[in-house]
Amino acid sequence: MNFLKGSLAWIEERTGAMAFVAPLMFHHVPRNAKWWYVFGSATLMFFTIQIVTGVCLATVYAPSAAQAWQSLNYIDTEVPMGWMLRALHGWSSNAMVVMMAIHMLQVFLHASYKYPRELNWITGVFLLLTTLALAFTGQVMRWDQDAYWGLGIGAAIADRIPVFGDQARALLLGGPIIGGETLNRFFALHVFVLPGAAIALVGLHMVLIIKNGISEMPKPGAVVVPSTYRKEFEERMHKDGVPFVPDAAQRDMVFCGVCLIGLVALAAFYGPFGPGGIPDPTLINTNPRPDYPFMWLFGAVSLLPPASETAIMLIAPAIVVLVLVAVPFLSNSGERAPSKRPAMVLLALVTVTAIAALTWEGTTSPWSPVMDGWSSLPTPSEFTKGRTPLEMQGAVVFQFAQCRNCHSLDGRGGKRGPALDDIATRLSYDQLVRQVQQGGGNMPAYGKNLDSAQTAAVVGFLSTLHPFNEPDAMTPGAQLPLPSGAATIR
Amino acid sequence: MNSRLLLASLITWLSGCERPGGPHAVQPVAHDSLAWTQSAFNTNCRGCHSQGAEGAALPLMNANYWAVATDAVVIEAIAHGQGRSMPAYLADEGGPFTSAQIVSLVQGMRSLWGAKDGATGGESVAISPRVIAGDAGAGAAVFSQACAGCHGPQGSAGSVIDPLYLRLISNQGLWSATVYGRSELGMPAWNQAMPNRPTGLTAQEVADVVGWISAQRPKQQRVSDAP
Ligand code: HEC
Ligand code: HEC
Ligand code: HEC
Repeated sequence: MNFLKGSLAWIEERTGAMAFVAPLMFHHVPRNAKWWYVFGSATLMFFTIQIVTGVCLATVYAPSAAQAWQSLNYIDTEVPMGWMLRALHGWSSNAMVVMMAIHMLQVFLHASYKYPRELNWITGVFLLLTTLALAFTGQVMRWDQDAYWGLGIGAAIADRIPVFGDQARALLLGGPIIGGETLNRFFALHVFVLPGAAIALVGLHMVLIIKNGISEMPKPGAVVVPSTYRKEFEERMHKDGVPFVPDAAQRDMVFCGVCLIGLVALAAFYGPFGPGGIPDPTLINTNPRPDYPFMWLFGAVSLLPPASETAIMLIAPAIVVLVLVAVPFLSNSGERAPSKRPAMVLLALVTVTAIAALTWEGTTSPWSPVMDGWSSLPTPSEFTKGRTPLEMQGAVVFQFAQCRNCHSLDGRGGKRGPALDDIATRLSYDQLVRQVQQGGGNMPAYGKNLDSAQTAAVVGFLSTLHPFNEPDAMTPGAQLPLPSGAATIR
Repeated sequence: MNSRLLLASLITWLSGCERPGGPHAVQPVAHDSLAWTQSAFNTNCRGCHSQGAEGAALPLMNANYWAVATDAVVIEAIAHGQGRSMPAYLADEGGPFTSAQIVSLVQGMRSLWGAKDGATGGESVAISPRVIAGDAGAGAAVFSQACAGCHGPQGSAGSVIDPLYLRLISNQGLWSATVYGRSELGMPAWNQAMPNRPTGLTAQEVADVVGWISAQRPKQQRVSDAP
């Protein structure tokens, strides 16, 4: 015992560790801060789980385009309890986002961001962004069809940036197309850059919590006056507060324990996320859906009129972030009680409802593609008659590349994109090539997933799709760059 | 005692035997009925291979096909894919079927659409181009006599030596196109009348003309695109 004390004192004398930890553990927190205050700790717990399971996964995961998918299957089936590790990592990631949202909502409703805790809120906003970025890059790590086509749509968004579109796309993907470079890039972000940023931000958030204390439960009439708040708060804490350990810590522990049991149950029961099909252009998933944290965005995009999409997709996120950062500056004093801030409560309610509704929209969208359209709906005979061999191959590519899952011919096929029965009257050959290669709207960019022969064939086929009496849409100067022979059409 | 039992069952449960989310082996589905074949075909194949003028690739709901095609070629194509646009359907290659299911599928298709008396009648031509070596020189003559009327520069059927076309089709695909034809679309089968060949081609002529078409591939394509 004496030896233990002696060695602790030895360490303490040289590091001052206890002097550092003691205030963390025993600082006074408000007595009335009961169960409302557990959400932050639970978020932190999920983050810790992410780090631990993430490090374990990184020891087996192969971040190369050729092996990533196989290595995930290897973890699922060969590594003892490997599937559990992946399941925990996946579910805990979603749980962290949800818990963080609840924590943020509580802080917002209680106006805890008011003086002197403005920076607590702002570091929190950046933590939210970092966490979402981790969730997105994490989805890419699965390197399955969802990841592949989610990235394709991400790239199409980057393309919309005026002037710098190409550069933004190259920055995102590590090249003009999704390839091995892309995975390396996202791996570096997911395991080094973003976790580093998150840990730094968590540290900052903690330091600020210790410095500014935990806010009391809001009471109507107990207004925040910046000039006197800190002094009065510290006096109240001194007189009436309770030490963090064990009073508040107890409740945190219980809540975290319950969360942990819930997490393990979810992971055990539902298992890991994906990996879905191999990200192989021969098996294109034309129904890319993002993970849950992004589903609402996906839903929102699907409801936008195409013309406004560029503006909204680029500008809306920037505005949302600005507003979140601005919250504590817009009002940093005065009433904190929700009953005295009905407008703010309403705002929170509307936001939550909107996100829930859009998530629902994203999950169940009626414009879903017909998933087996490509392999089950034959090209109608009116579109096979009188075609050249190359155009017939184009009709095969149209099935093979799963265009049919989103586009209908003769009324059969997906309704996500426009029907293409008379597309040749609307777009010229060059415009068709552009649409296929670069996508646009909610159409994935096929890019190098179709080589020049496949593109020429499918576009050749599309150019034949017009009613007999209507001419092709030939923009002036547009020529059919078909090779000799193939030009002897019909 | 009771709690130990509970723990043991918890561990077996967690170790993956009975969870909906755990890794599953491919489900052994009953796959020996013709109803299974028809529905598997309708969801997985009919989009490309249909019947008559419908569908962009070779119609498989077609007795002429089953009279000639050997199980080996068919199974090979389904399991590992063929050419550029026919995906591999074997589970090991990312597809949905086990090898036993593929065999049942082929037998099922043969009994659904093959000639009812089991007649094949195509033995004389049913030889893969990998066995009969085609003579491209002789093939050039066959092409200019029998095919060029439709596929030549003046023909209405479009070129079959377009380099882009040749990058998309395999040699087996060229051979099948020539043998089975698509009479509903105006392309005669190998044993139907065509210019200068009132009774069609011989097996050797089929191999020759396919050999010649294949030899028109752009040089860098020849090795990689051969099936
Ligand atoms: C994930 C669904 C999806 C897939 C798969 C898809 N498209 Fe599209 N496509 C769309 C959507 C959505 C639009 C409308 C884009 C817009 O709003 O600008 C579209 C637009 C088009 C257009 C322009 C239509 C017009 O009226 O302007 C063409 C042509 C087209 N797609 C061809 C193709 C081809 C060829 C393929 C296969 C190689 C394909 N699409 C695959 C969803 C898809
Ligand atoms: C009576 C006219 C006619 C003759 C003669 C003819 N073809 Fe065709 N061929 C067509 C038509 C029409 C098509 C387009 C339909 C199609 O793609 O299946 C076609 C398509 C083809 C295709 C492409 C099949 C595909 O879908 O990829 C090949 C290969 C072909 N013919 C080879 C030949 C060869 C070899 C000969 C000579 C032995 C020949 N054809 C004779 C009319 C003809
Ligand atoms: C995306 C379109 C597509 C789908 C779906 C598809 N195929 Fe094919 N299939 C093709 C094409 C194209 C070829 C010819 C490729 C070549 O030779 O270049 C082909 C070739 C074949 C052949 C070889 C024909 C021969 O004798 O040369 C068989 C057999 C076949 N497919 C069976 C099937 C079966 C069975 C299914 C469903 C399980 C299926 N295919 C699904 C496009 C498809």
